[in-house]
Amino acid sequence: MRKLFITLSMLIALSMVLAACGGAAPEAPAEPAAPAEPAAPAEPAAPAEPEPEPEEPAMEGPKVLYGNFGPGDVPSLDPAVAEDTSSIQVIEETFIGLTNLNEETSATEPGMATAWEETTNDDGSVTVTFNLRNDVPWVRFNGEAVETVKTCDGSADRMVTAQDFAYGIMRNQAPANASPYAYLLGFVLKGAAEFNSGETDDFSTVGVEVVDDYTLKLTFLAPTAYNTQIAGLWVARPQPQWVIEGDDCTEARGERWTEPGFFQSYGPFTMSEWIHDSELTIVKNPFWPGTDEIPVSKIDAVTFSMLDDTVSFAEYESGNMDYSPVPLADIDRVKADPVLSSELVIAPVQCTYYYGFNTRAPFVDDARVRRALSMAVDRQSLIDNVTKGGQEPAQWFSRPGLAAAPTMESHPDLGIKYDPEAAKAELQSYLDEKGLTVADLDLTLMFNTSSGHQTIAEAIQQMWKDALDVDVKLVNQEWAVYLETVDSLATPQIFRLGWCLDYPDANNFIREVFASGGNANAVDDAGEPSGGIMWKNDRFEELVTTAALETDPAKRLEMYAEAEQILVYDDAVMIPIYWYTRVTVTKPYITRTFGVGGHEKFEKWDILPH
Amino acid sequence: MGRYIARRLIYMVLVVLVVSVITFGLMHAVPGGPFSREKKLPAETVKVLNERYHLDDPLWKQYTTYIYNVLIPHVTTTPPSNSLMDDHMFNVKIGSVWIRWMNFGPSYKSRSRTVNDIFRDNLPISAQLGTMALIIAVLIGMPLGVMAALKQNTMMDYFGMGVAIFGVSVPVIVLGPILVWVFGVALKWFPVSGWGAKPPYLLGFLPSNYNWDFFKFAVMPSVALGLGSSAVIARLTRASLLQTVREDYIRTARAKGLHERVIITRHALKNSLIPVVTILGPLFAALVTGTFVTELIFGIPGMGKYFVTSITNRDYPVIMGTILLYAVFLVVANLLVDIVYAYLDPRIRYD
Repeated sequence: MRKLFITLSMLIALSMVLAACGGAAPEAPAEPAAPAEPAAPAEPAAPAEPEPEPEEPAMEGPKVLYGNFGPGDVPSLDPAVAEDTSSIQVIEETFIGLTNLNEETSATEPGMATAWEETTNDDGSVTVTFNLRNDVPWVRFNGEAVETVKTCDGSADRMVTAQDFAYGIMRNQAPANASPYAYLLGFVLKGAAEFNSGETDDFSTVGVEVVDDYTLKLTFLAPTAYNTQIAGLWVARPQPQWVIEGDDCTEARGERWTEPGFFQSYGPFTMSEWIHDSELTIVKNPFWPGTDEIPVSKIDAVTFSMLDDTVSFAEYESGNMDYSPVPLADIDRVKADPVLSSELVIAPVQCTYYYGFNTRAPFVDDARVRRALSMAVDRQSLIDNVTKGGQEPAQWFSRPGLAAAPTMESHPDLGIKYDPEAAKAELQSYLDEKGLTVADLDLTLMFNTSSGHQTIAEAIQQMWKDALDVDVKLVNQEWAVYLETVDSLATPQIFRLGWCLDYPDANNFIREVFASGGNANAVDDAGEPSGGIMWKNDRFEELVTTAALETDPAKRLEMYAEAEQILVYDDAVMIPIYWYTRVTVTKPYITRTFGVGGHEKFEKWDILPH
Repeated sequence: MGRYIARRLIYMVLVVLVVSVITFGLMHAVPGGPFSREKKLPAETVKVLNERYHLDDPLWKQYTTYIYNVLIPHVTTTPPSNSLMDDHMFNVKIGSVWIRWMNFGPSYKSRSRTVNDIFRDNLPISAQLGTMALIIAVLIGMPLGVMAALKQNTMMDYFGMGVAIFGVSVPVIVLGPILVWVFGVALKWFPVSGWGAKPPYLLGFLPSNYNWDFFKFAVMPSVALGLGSSAVIARLTRASLLQTVREDYIRTARAKGLHERVIITRHALKNSLIPVVTILGPLFAALVTGTFVTELIFGIPGMGKYFVTSITNRDYPVIMGTILLYAVFLVVANLLVDIVYAYLDPRIRYD
């Protein structure tokens, strides 16, 4: 559902041309994020501009930021079971992982672990020893202020320890909790998949070892580049066992432990109020020690409403919201408005919008037809005229900005581009060989019911008609029905899907989606294709498997580049359409960063006097 | 009358049971399940989730378990727990024994709330909004209709019916954003979004603050929601009243020299109310259980969206809960309507 949320919200909040932000693209992940650096490169002059709403009093008292989550309640604040963007946003601010992924560069930084070192074991597995901070206490909001959580006898603060991490990982993997994202750890952590599937109920078989209060050893199946990224994700965060299960001091809140009044956390913020379906507030945790990567917050509280984008934007215009996505219908007006356009920023988002081919279906079982259809899509025109958000035309699948993914700077000619002449030639070659005419082609494009997908499909249908004179039928299905269709042997010839990151590595895109058995390339128990693109290319499989274990970043990049070329050009099993960006307006008195993974780090924001 | 109501109550239970069977059957017949994701869940995870929610049981067993949990009071010595599987609407302690009733189950979408939580938190807001909208609908619709009927084919009639046509033809989805833009964003008379009452509620559903802080949030959505219904009421009132004033007993009343005002209020209006009351029943049920579009446009945390999102999410317990809630409101409202008939028209007898 996390994907759905991101996909839908991104579709609505489409973005526009990213002229000023080109320099902000994540290309220098080496340097640690300096929080003092100016965060918003767009308008240095903006704060000096006269305040458009003079009736607002000068800033006094607590600094409260108002934002929006989108309609619907936050599904869960429990790191063990959370799966959607809003839930994970709150978790990112209230619980910190072993490692921290920089929200702008996606670099892996110290989080709760100050340092870690890897040792390779005899069986090829890797043990990483994490040294944890010893100065982070658990806190709670007591109704008036944030206070530290005391031990049973009240003599000392409860500190976040390695045991809490082990407990959190155990809860995420425990079959009884049925965590939708348990597989992220199961993928890399030794013994986790077996524990999660119930093959064993002995957690000591999982590669998690508490050495002492502030030392944790995790054993990973293989020396992949993304082990430490996944170890820092929300699925591997400490949880307060005493609150959930109870101990001698008895809290035993069970599944209600994330409710206001019970909730305990330790990150730069903690949750203070949650009116279900209406608003959720996180307040600054003054006991967070502050690190180079995760400073102490300058903002005292952030209140998230749960409003539709259109409503949120109206609240922004009336001065009640400090930042907001811009609805598609308002983009043209915002661009034309002198005040709003100066508050507008487009930031990259690590998602890709694409069409896949069922490579076993008639006509599209030939790479020339698929390549022709892909080359006939004028992505820039689609962005300028339909999606209007200035998304980036995608030449391949993995979103640039992910670790080891090709970028337009490193590989300007990689992949596939709009080329109607070449498209015509490819198609003609196929038709001549088969003795067919374009009228014989019977093609169907299917997407899930949504006006956004509909307009994009209609535009591309017209592009195919113009460039190739091919008529393609459009069919749509309701979301849950559609998901079953594209995961079955009845997958239509051409189908729409999108993909957003879980962890910022190319492996999360190209391999997890398109390798045999991947998300859009299902196989049955016998390993035979059973849905999606139904494709297997041995060279591609070899590349993405070895690239995952390669330690030299330059070699990894070249392997993924070659794999992308096979995916989108040689075999052309999917049409990359665009890489997501998002359109946001932010009041000029806010300094902020722009998270590329769908989450913000509010401890790096500030509200200037206004 | 008492026997009639008792008989109706039995029918009502049957109707709701039939609704529950149909809903249950339909929602399980639709392709896709609560754990369909664009990013597919591994088969093991889906298996674990299905076990957790007993979705791997045969359908008849799932249904009977559900009805048992909802309908049959449980008598137990264990107190209410924090488990989402074990959240009952009514928990009464008698001595050392707990009587616990109505467990509508957990929400699959929200991992921290149950269907009962949704009823407790969201239904009061929808009920407050719906009631105010209904009052506005009646207060605008009835006088317009009466005025139009009494001054048939005059400017008053055309004006009243013009307002009615406007009300029906401009749906909330158009009127709502216009109101928000004009009175919220531009004039700043009213807040753009939100609701003025928060839990806990008086008696479980009434706001605890009847002041401007509450009503300023309620004005725009209640008007937007009530205007469409008021149009329907106005047209029905007009048509019905026009028919009634041509009845023989009205002519008789005029012939015996009764004052026109008495004729209209005591004889004509009362008798012409039957069709209006008939639609007020279903209208009440529809308005107070939540309205999807209005609540979305005005950012009101009511029940409305659950009728829609529960189906797209295949959140089975929420689908059942919302549909049954609406069904119960509808049959109860219709019963009340039938009872009001007997008061409005003495010729209607139920015994």
